Amino acid sequence: MTTTDPALSPRTLARQRRRASVARFWRQYRAERAGLYGLAVLALCALLALFAPLFVGSDVSSVTDAPGRPMQSPSAGFPLGTDQFGRDLLGLVVWGSRVSLLVGLLAAVLSVAIGTLIGVTAGHFKGWYATVMMRITDWFLVMPTLVLAIALATVMSRSLTTTVVAIGVTTWPTTARLVRAQTLAVETRPYIERARALGGGHWHIMSRHVLPNVMPLVLAQTTLIISTAILAEATLAFLGLGDPTVVSWGGLLQDAREAGAVSAGDWWYLVPPGIAIAVVALAFTLCGRAVESVLNPRLGVSR
Amino acid sequence: MTADATPALVEDKQQTAAGPRVRKGSAYPRYLAGKVAGAAVSLLAVLVTSFFLFRLIPGDPVKTMTGGRQVSAEQLAAYRREFGLDLPLWRQFTDYCGKALTGDFGTSYQFRAPVVDKITEALPNTLLLTGTAFVLYTALGIFLGTRSAWRRGGLGDRVNTGLALTLYSIPSFWLGLLLIIVLSVGIGPIPGMFPTGGMESGGKEGFAYVVDVAHHLVLPVVTLVAVEYGQTLLVTRSALLDEMGSDYLTTARAKGLRDDLVRRRHAVPNALLPTVTLIFINLGRTVAGVILVETVFSWPGLGGLFYQALSVPDLPLVQGLFFVFAAAVIVMNTLADLVYPLLDPRVAR
Amino acid sequence: MGTNDQTRSLPRGLRLVAVAGAAALTLTAGLATPLDPAPRQARAADDGKKVLTVAVAQSVDSLSPFLAVRLLSTSIHRLMYEYLTNYDPKDNHAIPGLATKWESSPDKLTWTYTIRSNSTWSDGRQATAEDAAWTFNKMMTDDGAATANGSYVGNFRKVTAPSPTKLVIELKKPQATMTALDVPIVPKHVWEKVSDFSEFNNDKSFPIVGNGPFVLTGYKADSYVRLKANKSFWRGAPKFDELVFRYYKDQDAAVSALRKGEVSFVAGSPSLTPAQAASLEGAENIKVNDAPGRRFYALATNPGAKAKNGKKFGDGHPSLLDQRVRNALFMAVDRKAIIDKVFQGHAVEGEGYIPPRFSQYFWKPTASQKLAYDPAEAARLLDQAGYKKNGDGKRVGKDGKPITYRVLCHATDPNDKAVGKYLQEWWGDLGIGVRLNCLDNVTDPWLAGKYDLAFDGWSVNPDPDFVLSIHTCGALPATPEDTGATDNFICDKTYDELYARQLAEYDPAKRADIVKQMESRLYDLGYMNVMAYPNAVEAYRTDQIKSITTMPAKAGNIYGQDGYWSWWSAVPADSGGSSDNASSTGVVVGVVAGVVILGGLGAFAAMRRRATAEDRE
Repeated sequence: MTTTDPALSPRTLARQRRRASVARFWRQYRAERAGLYGLAVLALCALLALFAPLFVGSDVSSVTDAPGRPMQSPSAGFPLGTDQFGRDLLGLVVWGSRVSLLVGLLAAVLSVAIGTLIGVTAGHFKGWYATVMMRITDWFLVMPTLVLAIALATVMSRSLTTTVVAIGVTTWPTTARLVRAQTLAVETRPYIERARALGGGHWHIMSRHVLPNVMPLVLAQTTLIISTAILAEATLAFLGLGDPTVVSWGGLLQDAREAGAVSAGDWWYLVPPGIAIAVVALAFTLCGRAVESVLNPRLGVSR
Repeated sequence: MTADATPALVEDKQQTAAGPRVRKGSAYPRYLAGKVAGAAVSLLAVLVTSFFLFRLIPGDPVKTMTGGRQVSAEQLAAYRREFGLDLPLWRQFTDYCGKALTGDFGTSYQFRAPVVDKITEALPNTLLLTGTAFVLYTALGIFLGTRSAWRRGGLGDRVNTGLALTLYSIPSFWLGLLLIIVLSVGIGPIPGMFPTGGMESGGKEGFAYVVDVAHHLVLPVVTLVAVEYGQTLLVTRSALLDEMGSDYLTTARAKGLRDDLVRRRHAVPNALLPTVTLIFINLGRTVAGVILVETVFSWPGLGGLFYQALSVPDLPLVQGLFFVFAAAVIVMNTLADLVYPLLDPRVAR
Repeated sequence: MGTNDQTRSLPRGLRLVAVAGAAALTLTAGLATPLDPAPRQARAADDGKKVLTVAVAQSVDSLSPFLAVRLLSTSIHRLMYEYLTNYDPKDNHAIPGLATKWESSPDKLTWTYTIRSNSTWSDGRQATAEDAAWTFNKMMTDDGAATANGSYVGNFRKVTAPSPTKLVIELKKPQATMTALDVPIVPKHVWEKVSDFSEFNNDKSFPIVGNGPFVLTGYKADSYVRLKANKSFWRGAPKFDELVFRYYKDQDAAVSALRKGEVSFVAGSPSLTPAQAASLEGAENIKVNDAPGRRFYALATNPGAKAKNGKKFGDGHPSLLDQRVRNALFMAVDRKAIIDKVFQGHAVEGEGYIPPRFSQYFWKPTASQKLAYDPAEAARLLDQAGYKKNGDGKRVGKDGKPITYRVLCHATDPNDKAVGKYLQEWWGDLGIGVRLNCLDNVTDPWLAGKYDLAFDGWSVNPDPDFVLSIHTCGALPATPEDTGATDNFICDKTYDELYARQLAEYDPAKRADIVKQMESRLYDLGYMNVMAYPNAVEAYRTDQIKSITTMPAKAGNIYGQDGYWSWWSAVPADSGGSSDNASSTGVVVGVVAGVVILGGLGAFAAMRRRATAEDRE
């Protein structure tokens, strides 16, 4: 063990310990086959989204320079056909991944950030603060999420920010509860007592000791919530509550419906964005479950 | 409901782990009173939210209500008076709460009918859809979840869990649209077998009416079941696996009981207990989560009404519906809380 | 806590699930029964009944003619109640309805209507002038009854019925709409029992007593509206036995239903999409009615909203007050592309304010006047107006900030969003930003003047007076608190003078000439830029409807006519009776569905039984 070497500073020690635990985590994660598949799909999607400007170009969403005629069925030129403006649907689906993934990511980060903040503080400061926070959490928990998100999206103007906020604000309570439980468990450990005795303030304890310990849980939560957020983004866009000028998967489905693609039988307009949503949501769920089962093998969720 | 399915999955494990435990029989009434009081507080909080949240919708409901037709300031003022919108906000709020407590949610702006009437008109339709779907996906989820856990790691389990996870990742509205294309309109050799939307063809009586409604019910129910059963399956499965690691099972096995017998007689029933909580909560959530499926299938339920009310905004109707959606979840949560200790065999009563 | 306890709980836990399931089932089954609307409609067996089913999406706001304002509800009232006058389906001139003839005093202040004696209410009583007088008087005296149509009677001094066939209306000042009083006349003997008109929705007891071509026999919110033919209708009985409006909230579902023959007619809201029309055109037994529309589709510019008392309100962009800017913006709109791409040919390129369907008033800009698509010229105009590009290629306003216009759009109209995307790119090339503000309900920012530009459209009547009047200074709201008749706050002296002149002009040709001058003025001002005249695209099944009257008879539309012509005139096809074959397959599939559901329950029960069997061993 590294602790036997007295020449190492505490900081290096901590870093080494962390590196070791990441390696251990990865070793266990690798055993989860479904999680690996999920990770592979996600990596592929992320690459596609990141490098989309290179192979489809931002003018793929331009309506004035649309290359095809409206609603063309798949052909060599347009492998997935065209939309009602004559834009290349394959390009749009690739391009749409950027917004869908971004919204999913941002919304999940927002949701988890709120949840972690409330969870950690409610676990750390006990008393009336915790009581009030947990009441609020419980109350948000019983709110029908979709209804609340629709209401929020209606109250605010239609933009990506609105979508992110509407999803983030409605999905944080579960994280808050999980994080609080974890915080309570961590704070009973002796070294926290020691840190406190050594004069560590609230901020020090929360940021240096509690947070690193709840991080794995937060990671698992984030992965799971991204999948929820991507579905929620699609849902809001489908209900016409998204920004109509932005290309996202949900927005494409809504466009398809408004153009009458369903009854016209133009399946190529409807099927690819839906599959994209399902695949990415599934990939995130698989990763989240894998992380969860590594952290808590007793759950035996996968394998 | 796609939006909150995953967190609920996690949360429920948490909830059962910290599940309510009642030590003595005499404690139950106090426990019950506490839970009911908590629910009452939640309902009140919902009432407050429903009032203030929707006041944030930009717009003057009276001007919207008159649809931009030429109306004089006096007439607009008269409308405001009629709907009590001329009062200061706090008075509107106290009036609203006072009336809501007596079950009066005011008059819908756009339908000129009591909100309660509009809701009771649509509620049975929503309950018919959610109720049927709920029974089916719960049964299916428990059944497959148990099987999956029994044959953990086998091909059946992998296919089962994989399918559940996949269906669970599919947007319900998209699945609904596909089902309409394939099974309702018909594609290639597949004939259109089911109606494209609505709840009835109209003008049918007696048995023919029931059959007609059942016919309309198939596709929306299939959609709901497909996207919802996965959650029940996964929770049942993991609860069962959790239970199978317990000491008493090892003891039972050590006593020489057959493996499958141990599982069926001891593990399954106990594992089902936590699932009960999930079942109740699901029922409450499905009522609100059905909005999408109702939209796709033109089902004349609460979801469509809510959406329509939001666009006006028809404040009284929006508030009433929001309250109903939230109340469904709260009531079901409370029921779960109340029933759970009664079921838990570890409670000495 | 022994194993025994665990075992005993087995049936208990399962029983709970079973009980919950059973409870839910009973619940749903129980609920299904009171839903049954059938008993209310005692009627003969299904055989040979000719049913005309129309797919609709709009909810009925009220079945009371005193409250209803939505298109569907008022169209249904047309079918249920006879109005004093009707419009000729060919050219829209006023023709007899409940009144057989009418005359006015020379000062146009007293109008005498002769009420027909061959119209009876569906409960057998005669419809008389007394019913009409009562209806109008109620609207004049009861605020609740004036909710929907109060504007028609605001100017009435007195309404009397000296005899059952004679109705006399005295006015305070002359009123143009006296032969177009679109007010359903209701039976006094039924309606005088109503206590509160502001809350009575006329949807509790069926059939509803009426004297129109159809009698309403059943209604369930967002499910259906059912009407049966009035065999004793004075103009002649409708050819179909029944007319059903069925709800499809989703337009694709409605089109699919038409394809399958579940419904006979689909109009779409506002019309079928190009893709739907294209796919239906090739379908068997379906006719797509692609009629020149009576609507114009325009881009309205906020001229700086103000009230009659001179108070300014709203926050329209100041640069738009410059006519050169407005013209430049419109010159950067490629209208041909909008027709080709957005409407895909189901519209006509916009020119003047009034659609070409009304040839009498249709006006085209002269070659020199025309603001043809010319982005280069548009850029030049903007430069000239002082809105130059900055270093980033964005044009800056007088305040030094880059210009971004907020464009108000209807979230429910796909065309608004589609054209909005084009605007973003066209105007983006000019160096001007566009922010689409798409709302379900645009009324509020619109009335408050909180927009820069907005998508606008009106259905034009054969007499253009109304659509012309909404751009006069007189239509502005009295104060910012009032709602005026104005469309988008245009107030122009020249236009107003022309408007007054056309009102006083009795010679049709001369009047038309003045109207064209008004259109020319409106075009130059650039506050109302007409981009297109969309067609009405609707479709029906020829194996269910043999023929149907459009309005106008030549190349007209079917849904949303001024009158009951379409549904009253529709002739069933020989194979007619839409529901018959559908219902037999329906039963078969319904049984299959039942089996599926039972199967699910069976699996559940099987699981339970296995568990108990296990317990017994």
